[in-house]
Amino acid sequence: MNELKKKFESIFNNITVNVVEDNRIVVNIKKDEVLTFLSYLKNLGYEHLSLVSCVDWINKSEFELIYILSSYMAKDEEYQEKEKTKIIVKTRIPRKEARFITVINVFENAEPYERELHEMFGIYFEGHPRLTPLLLERDYEIPPFRKDFDMQNYVDNTYGKIPSIKERKKEQNERT
Amino acid sequence: MDRNQISKWLKNPGKMANKYSFHVVYFCTGCGVIEIPPSITTRWDAERFGIIPVASPRQANLFLIAGYVSTKTLKAIIRTYEQMPEPKYTIAFGSCPINGGMYYDSYNTITSLDKYIPIDGYIAGCMPRPEAVFVGVTHLWKLIDMDKADGYKRYREDYKHYRANQEQLFGDMDWPPLFSKENIK
Repeated sequence: MNELKKKFESIFNNITVNVVEDNRIVVNIKKDEVLTFLSYLKNLGYEHLSLVSCVDWINKSEFELIYILSSYMAKDEEYQEKEKTKIIVKTRIPRKEARFITVINVFENAEPYERELHEMFGIYFEGHPRLTPLLLERDYEIPPFRKDFDMQNYVDNTYGKIPSIKERKKEQNERT
Repeated sequence: MDRNQISKWLKNPGKMANKYSFHVVYFCTGCGVIEIPPSITTRWDAERFGIIPVASPRQANLFLIAGYVSTKTLKAIIRTYEQMPEPKYTIAFGSCPINGGMYYDSYNTITSLDKYIPIDGYIAGCMPRPEAVFVGVTHLWKLIDMDKADGYKRYREDYKHYRANQEQLFGDMDWPPLFSKENIK
């Protein structure tokens, strides 16, 4: 693991590498270098993008994007070490104008993850072919996974305001 | 066959046959789906009670909604319910369809199901055991005997209000009303 750490630090500037556990590395990197770093990792053998996720740090007004990479089990003996490790790439983008570049050119399976992030966090991914709704049906003023989305208030205003059938009947009787 | 019930069978054979042969369409959205396979297979053999799962809502007369209901699945529930032939009964399974359960403040889970379709009985719990299904069904038998399981009649009578609630939730609905004005009594 320490070999990998030295390798990364020698090639890329502005990078902090932490070995969290025996088989897990967390890499914090600036947002300009994410694409090059991911494509470098792909050439290294980490061919599988397991997850694209996001954390809303509302006090620092930043989004943290998280890419989790692992590699498929290969027949070669040198790959045996690699397939046990996972590399977690983290980057921060500003919260006000939440924009980022897609990584579809590197990892094709990032498409649904990025669509979901666009829907839930309102992050716009430049170059994404279709940022259409994936899971949700309704329109939200604030995307629902942001920290400033008030869930209880929203529930009271939408589902709470729909009257029950008894109340509807009462209304009708009062009118007539 | 129970001898005490012979008079009931002779009096109203259709109702009795209907009551003892529930063809169930399961709507499994959440964790409720876990309780369904043990209840219909050999361990708690649901066919002792005449409950049998069917593939299509066109052949069913009991609708068992297991688990939470999101706005997207509510559309499917309404369409399934409207496709079932009368008489039809509905049981909501678990605490989520009653008042939202643990999803009481979710952005996408509706809090009470009986605003949109009529419910004949609730089985409370999170999650109820398979025995609770049979307790619920035997209660439903009593309700049918007393003519109190009238969810489909209420749906026909108050269809205006149900449809108004559905339209308030969804905005534009992409299917026409089930009952036109002439059909509503």
